[in-house]
Parts: sequence; C-alpha cells; structure tokens
Amino acid sequence: MRVDLTDSLSRLLPEEAFGHSVPSSLWTALRTDVETVVAPGSAEEVATILKWASEMGVRVVPIGTGAHTYPRYPRDPFIVLTTSRLNEIQHYEPADLTMTASAGASIRDLSTEMATHGQWLPFDPPDVPNRTLGGLVATGLSGPLWAGYGQLRNHVLGATIVCGDGRALRLGGKVVKNVAGFDILKVMVGSRGELAVITSVTVRLFPLPVVDRLLVLEATDVSELVSTARAVATAPIMPASIILSATSDGGRLLVRLHGARVSVEADQKSLEKHTGVSFEVRNTPEAESLLVQERGSGIDTELVVRVWALPSRIGVLLDLLKQVPGVSLNADVYGGSVRAYLPVNLSDIESSLAGLQKDIEELGGTIRVLRIPAEVDASSYFAKPLVDEGELAAGLKRAFDPHAVLWGIE
Amino acid sequence: MYRLLEKTDEEPVASLLTGKVSSGMTRPLPSTVVSDLAKIVGHEHVITDPDRLLVYESDGLTAYRRPPRAVVLPSSTEEISAVVGLLHSNGIEVIPRGAGTGLSGGALTTPEGVIVGTARMNRILKIDVENRIAIAQPGVINARLTEATNPYGLYYAPDPSSQSTCTLGGNVAENSGGPHCLKYGVTARYITGLTVVLAGGQIVEIGGVGRDPYATLDLVGLFVGSEGCFGIATEIELRLLPITEGVRTLLGIFESVESAGRAVTKIIACGLMPAAVEIVDGPTIKAVEASVFAAGYPLEAGAALVIEFDGTEAGLDLDADRAEQCCLEEGAIEVQRATDPEHRVKLWRARKKAFGAMGRIAPDLLVQDATVPRTKLPEVLAGIDDIGNRYGLKIANVFHAGDGNLHPNILFDRQNQNELELVERASKEIMQLCVDAGGTITGEHGVGVDKRKYMTLVHGPAELEAMAAAKRVFDPASLFNPGKVLPEVEVKGATDTAKILATGE
Ligand SMILES: Cc1cc2nc3c(=O)[nH]c(=O)nc-3n(C[C@H](O)[C@H](O)[C@H](O)COP(=O)(O)OP(=O)(O)OC[C@H]3O[C@@H](n4cnc5c(N)ncnc54)[C@H](O)[C@@H]3O)c2cc1C
Ligand SMILES: Cc1cc2nc3c(=O)[nH]c(=O)nc-3n(C[C@H](O)[C@H](O)[C@H](O)COP(=O)(O)OP(=O)(O)OC[C@H]3O[C@@H](n4cnc5c(N)ncnc54)[C@H](O)[C@@H]3O)c2cc1C
Repeated sequence: MRVDLTDSLSRLLPEEAFGHSVPSSLWTALRTDVETVVAPGSAEEVATILKWASEMGVRVVPIGTGAHTYPRYPRDPFIVLTTSRLNEIQHYEPADLTMTASAGASIRDLSTEMATHGQWLPFDPPDVPNRTLGGLVATGLSGPLWAGYGQLRNHVLGATIVCGDGRALRLGGKVVKNVAGFDILKVMVGSRGELAVITSVTVRLFPLPVVDRLLVLEATDVSELVSTARAVATAPIMPASIILSATSDGGRLLVRLHGARVSVEADQKSLEKHTGVSFEVRNTPEAESLLVQERGSGIDTELVVRVWALPSRIGVLLDLLKQVPGVSLNADVYGGSVRAYLPVNLSDIESSLAGLQKDIEELGGTIRVLRIPAEVDASSYFAKPLVDEGELAAGLKRAFDPHAVLWGIE
Repeated sequence: MYRLLEKTDEEPVASLLTGKVSSGMTRPLPSTVVSDLAKIVGHEHVITDPDRLLVYESDGLTAYRRPPRAVVLPSSTEEISAVVGLLHSNGIEVIPRGAGTGLSGGALTTPEGVIVGTARMNRILKIDVENRIAIAQPGVINARLTEATNPYGLYYAPDPSSQSTCTLGGNVAENSGGPHCLKYGVTARYITGLTVVLAGGQIVEIGGVGRDPYATLDLVGLFVGSEGCFGIATEIELRLLPITEGVRTLLGIFESVESAGRAVTKIIACGLMPAAVEIVDGPTIKAVEASVFAAGYPLEAGAALVIEFDGTEAGLDLDADRAEQCCLEEGAIEVQRATDPEHRVKLWRARKKAFGAMGRIAPDLLVQDATVPRTKLPEVLAGIDDIGNRYGLKIANVFHAGDGNLHPNILFDRQNQNELELVERASKEIMQLCVDAGGTITGEHGVGVDKRKYMTLVHGPAELEAMAAAKRVFDPASLFNPGKVLPEVEVKGATDTAKILATGE
C-alpha cells in the first residue's frame, strides 16, 4: 500500500480505527501480506472507507474474524476492513424471538445473551462460536442443523448494509413475514462480502430444545453407516441434523434429536425401528463436546475442499473421497455436502485436485476449495455458476458495487 | 434520488377510488401478432374475444379491473419462451398469471399488456422421494402437490388459505404464506430451484438441490417474491416434508381480541412451537355464525384462537396442555381440544370459512395484510378497532397471529362513493399504525398495484432504487408486469441513509 494512500485514509478516521491485528491465516487466504487493516467504529465510518476506496481505486476485503476467508487473488492495492469494533446488541425482544446486533458481534456473545432467555440461533457451521454474526450471514451456510430448522437465509429478517460505493441501505425488517418489495436481502445472505459490507443483522431466534439428544453409531464399514444415514434421512421423522464423519479406518454417524423428552424418546424408537439399528445415546453436555469435536476437527487443516451433490449421492461421493490416503471427511447427509480435509503431503496437490474434480463431476457433484496452501493456485477448483446465472450475478454485482471495490464475482 | 422508473400511462397512484382503471375496449393486438402467437400455442389458446377476456380483467382484488389485449395459454417452457420472445420483440408487456387469486392486483394487466397464463402448465414433472423434492410446472394447484406426494408419506408445507385454487407459480411470485408457516416457514424456504423465462424469452435455470450454493448468489431467493416483475417461473423445484405423525387442535374462546393476542405472545414466549396460531375476532365469528358455515362458536365471544401442534404423537398432549394453560391464564372462557380429524375440521371451520361468510354480510370486502412484531398485537388490534370506529367502518380480523401477520378485513359497499373514500383513508391509517409498531405493509399478499402507494412508509429512496436496480438486472426494458411493486412517483425528501448510519436500524 502506498504511503500517500494510507495517509489519506488515516485523515478520515479516528485513531482507534487503526492498529488492529488479524489472524495470520488471513494472509494465506489472501495470498499476500496486507499492511492496512481498518476497524470502523460505526456504519458511517464503513461508508467513509468505501467511498474513499471508490475514489482511490483501492479494494476492500471485509472480514469478521478473518479466520474463514476463502482463497482470493488480489491484483490491486487493497485494505482489510474488520468489523471487530461493531459489536453491540442493538435490539433484543425475547418475546418476539428476534434480535438485532452489529455485524462484528461474536456468535458466542450473542448466544450467551440468548441462552439467558432460553433461546438460540440453530446454526452450526464449524467453529461457530468464534464467528461473527456478519461473517455467518455473509457466508450464508447453515451447517447440518438446517435439516431440522431450515436454512439461515430464511431466518435473516433484516440487515443494514453499506454497498460498495458507500450507499447505506436498510433491508427487510424486524418481522418474520415480510413481502414489501423485491427481496434483495436474500442475495446479501451468502454474498461473502462481494456486494456490500453488512453492518447489522436482525435474526429470528428459536426456543432452546428441552432435550438435545445425540444418537451415535460407529462402524469400520463406512458404506454400512451411509445406508443407515440415508435411511435416517428418509425416515418419517425429521432429525435436527444428520452428520457422518469418516476416515479410511471407519466412521461415525451422529443423529441429533430435539424436543420434549417424551417426543425425543419416541423419535429415537421410531428411527431405530425404521433403520433396524440401535444407537448409543449421548446427552448434553457430553453430546455437545462430541459435536464440537466432530464439527471443528480439521478446521486448521491446510487443504480443505467441499463437495456438493444430491443427498442420495452422498454414498458414492464418500466411496470416492475415502480412497484419498489420510483423508478425513465430514458429511451433512440431509443437505448433500461433504467437507474433505486432505493431507497436505499429497505429492502434487494440483493434479490430485484436478483428478478429484473430474471424478466428482462425473458423479454429478461439484467441488470447491475452502482452504489451500498459499503456493497453489486454486482458482480452477471453484464450482462454477451456470453461464446465465453468472450473468445475473454479475449484473447484481454492478448494481451494488459499481466500482468493484469489494472483491469477488469477476 | 428515486426517479420515475417505468413509463406506463396508468394513473400515478392507483387507489380504490380510481379502481376501475379502464372501461370500454382495449386496443386489440395487431392481427399478425395474434396469428404468430397462435402458431406457437394453437388458435384455441390465444384469447382475444372481449367477452372471454373479461374473466381476466382482475385478480382476487376485484376493485381494480382492466381487460387485457389478449390472453395466451402456453403449455411448456419452450412455448412460454417463444411467446415472451414474440411479445417483447414487439414491445408488448407481459403479465404472468396463475389462478388469479392474488389479493394485491398483481395479475392486473397494463393498458398495453398481454396476459400469459399458466393454466395449461399443470403437470407435476417429478417426485424424487429419496431426496424429498418435486419438480412441478407453475400452473399446478398448491393442494394438488400435497395430494400427489401424500402416497409417499410426504407433503408440501406452505398452505395458503387459497390452496385449493392458487398455483405454485403464483405462490413463488408472491412468496405466499399460510396458517402452518408459523412453524414451517413461507414459500421461499421450500423453493430450491427454478427454470425461468426472462426478457426476450431467454430460458435460465437457477439453483437446484445438490448444486453448490456458493457457486453464485441466491438468485432463487431473489426471484421468489418478485411478483411477476422479473420473469415467468416455468419449472419449480420444491422441497417436501414427511407427513407428521400426530396433530392436536385447540380452540380457545376469549372475551376480547386483545386477550387472545396476549395468549399468543405467552404461548410463543414459553418456548412452545405450534404449527399454527390463528385468530378469528368477534365480528368474524358473528358473520360466520350467521352464515351457512355456522361452526357453533359462542356469539358473545370477542375472539377465538385456533392453535395447532403437530409432530411426534408422544409429545403433543404435553404441548397442548401447556398452550391451554397459557390461554386460561390470559382469561380464556373455554378451551376445546380435538384429536380426531372430524372434530379438527369443526374447530377450524370459522377460520377457513371466514372470507366466504363475510361476503354474505357486506357487498364488498377489502382484505388487508400487514405484519407487526407479535408482542405488539394487542395494542395494534386495539388501534385498528379505534380506526374502524372513527370511520364508522366494520373491520373484521382473521389472521395468522403466531407470525404477527394481520388481515384486517374492511367491509363496505362500493356503490357508496363516500364509504369508498373512508375505506381508502382507514387502510392508510392501518398501514401507518402497523409500520409505527415496527411492522410492515404486507406479510404475504404482496405489493402488486394496490400497495405501491404505501411503499414509502417502509422504504427510503435508496432502498427503492436498489430494488429497481435488481429488477433491471432481470428485466432491463421493464417488459414484465410493469407498474407493480415499485411506486412510480418521485419520492421527495432526504434519503434516510443518515439515520440508518447513525442508529444502525
Ligand atoms: C476449513 C474450512 C471449512 C469450512 N466449512 C464450512 C462449513 O462446513 N459450513 C459453513 O457454513 N462454512 C464453512 N466454512 C466457511 C467459514 O466457516 C465461514 O466463512 C465463517 O462463518 C466466517 O465467519 P467469520 O466471522 O470468521 O468471518 P470471516 O472469516 O472473517 O469472513 C468470512 C467471509 O465473510 C465475509 N464477511 C465477514 N464479515 C462480513 C461483513 N460484515 N460484511 C460482508 N462480508 C463479510 C468475508 O469477506 C469472507 O468472505 C469453512 C471454512 C474453512 C476455512
Ligand atoms: C380466499 C383467499 C385466501 C387467501 N389466503 C392466502 C394465504 O393464506 N396466504 C397467502 O400468502 N395468500 C393468500 N391468498 C392470496 C393468493 O391466493 C396468493 O397470493 C397466491 O399465491 C396467488 O396465486 P395465483 O396462482 O392465484 O396467482 P395470481 O393471482 O394469478 O398471480 C399473483 C402474482 O404472481 C404472478 N405470477 C403468477 N404466476 C407466475 C409465474 N409462473 N411466474 C412468475 N410470476 C407469476 C402474477 O404476475 C401476479 O403478480 C388468498 C387469496 C384468497 C382469494
């Protein structure tokens, strides 16, 4: 970053906005060292930064924690905008089951507050407590709990955003049903900071389940687990989530049941009858730590890909993926996605990935790189939009970020 | 900053008073266009006979009427594409239409428009039991999808009260809700992929189960609720749910609608997750009891609350007990409970037949629609009551209380000009009341033509311009359903960007 550029920015913002640190994994993701990190203290400052960047031709990467940013390839000068100072709860009405908080608020802090009222946000992407609300919404994935609760995008009721050119917009509202106009809020969920910086979010909350029961089944034969998992996914009752983790040595199926004690017990019986197996039972807090371990394990692996396919194809995908020596897999059986943690000592990452990509596409799936060592160019391992979809997305990008200040959608 | 966006020669602000937006003949289509359309879909599926066009002059909001220049009824995605291509290349606006049950005038034609109806696109193309999805054409009636999937132990969750007549295409366009959307969510949650025909007839596939959602933006989510203004959905991929094991239905009778409203808040706040919570107020009960649909509700009741739980049989009685307790604590006069289907139908009757019954006590009915935070229901209901009294209008409330989604229905007589004006003014006050309570101007019926005038109550110029920009991405020349959703008038005054920035709200 040129000194005159950073100088001109520092004249626009208070001192507190500078001198913040970000995790080193961010540099890996961004494939470069970043000199300038700004931490705006208000949505106005976010707008100031984006207007400045538009004028100066500088790009901006918004982050929450910065820990989960996916690989990108910077070309122009850029700065990192962290939401770490935008972290308060703005509005919480437990009786309405709605909460509005600033984008940088950590899910852990928000959850603590919700729990005092017996409520929660039922989304469990890996390492969720360490994420920010804005990061959760910007990445848009819900984790396996969407089997029982629906996707995050359906529970984001409103948001305030600052578009790439500094325009502030208030989208949606605070009510659970709202069709007053075109739903541009939906495209902000999962827009990965490519259209706008999210400054606050209103979410719909849920009552904490009275009983959170984890059913566990372990086996060395993964295909056996897969058929049980698929039987669970097509059973007459709907579990809260169905996770299958596997390595080349075997695997573990985790089925989560939520509800009152009597109904959870009945659900377990009905699942056991339907699948013909009996599960081991873990209750909170033991269940929780097992889940955290399962969902978070491998989070620091240097090479991570995610594969998507029709849920009924999960078995063939796992069959294929588990052949990679040293791989560790985590599948959302209801949603149809598998996260694969690959050993970095793969002799030649690029050709291995290319081979994997070809095989997966033949099975009707798609592959996407989530994390990759800095030396490797991963740009060809992103699932591509269909051509027309890409054009529509590009049109929206131009509408919200006309000067392409925020990275993304090329 | 928000400017005139689309040129139509319609009145600047549609209103009930100017409701009959056109009388007499509309300009017929050039005969070459008619014959080209006939070549695509067949003669019998191009309607130009003025008498037959009258059927298409309004949707469920009959206050606005205008016959289209023609109606075309294609039978496939390819035919829709060819029809749209032909019309657009002649600069003719396309108005998509399903069953015409919409309540905001969404399927009302523009003066120069042609309606493209989906009535013949009524096939369910695929039921994928293993992945619990179905692919249907847009003209499939909502309830038929559930009937067709029931044999596999599955059903389609969103259940608008009009489900026996409205189409899936209309549901997608309006992002429709229904009584059971409290627990299960509205249409958007169930639409996983779409084939759409866009401007000029371009066929585009978006989304789909099994695709990486990261591959692009949530275009499906954006298309849902676009009210026919972005394009025509021609194939719809939907998520199905397993049929629940058991159901319990409760009917609570209350002295006032406010206490029923408080019971709703209590039920939700104590951690229960009912499938549906619906309120029928006193005036509605009286109307139903006076009609052929009489359900045996006490006439002196101020309100009735229909509460339903579904799920695993074993937990249901417990939930029902707790909900009953909540009702009694808020002063319920009596609480009935149904376990068998027959009794259940009886408890639901007043809710389901409310609109039919109201039609019998007043010549005209304006079904309003707005959402407020659930906790604000008691005060907002009191406020609506007050508005009705001040204008001397009868307002009957029957609505999705669990979601805070109100339907104040204003009864009136359109022959009475004076009353019409009062209806218009009362509607506006009700909208303002709901917005002031932290709510919005429509929860499920959409903006259409009727609520454009209220859009500025909830959106500033910058938001409206952003919505217009989103429309331009899909439909640059505004040839799909122009004159809907976005107000055409210039919005005066400063943008409230400053306020958003200052308060973050
Ligand atoms: C190994 C690995 C596996 C993963 N697996 C999953 C998975 O299974 N399911 C899943 O859901 N996610 C997964 N992710 C994605 C990751 O967990 C999410 O990106 C995470 O939610 C980000 O939270 P954060 O607050 O740390 O945001 P960050 O890591 O700081 O940012 C994440 C993304 O959001 C954007 N962003 C952050 N805040 C804002 C804001 N306020 N406005 C606009 N944009 C913003 C950033 O630009 C970036 O693109 C995985 C990531 C990795 C590296
Ligand atoms: C008695 C009654 C009860 C009702 N109850 C409810 C309720 O509980 N919940 C609720 O949400 N609504 C309710 N409605 C409103 C209405 O039924 C819904 O809005 C419904 O989704 C409209 O479907 P339709 O097929 O009739 O669409 P139409 O009225 O024909 O069209 C509605 C809109 O959708 C567009 N459209 C139609 N098909 C397509 C397509 N294939 N692609 C793109 N755009 C299209 C049209 O252009 C128009 O803008 C009720 C209506 C009545 C009359």
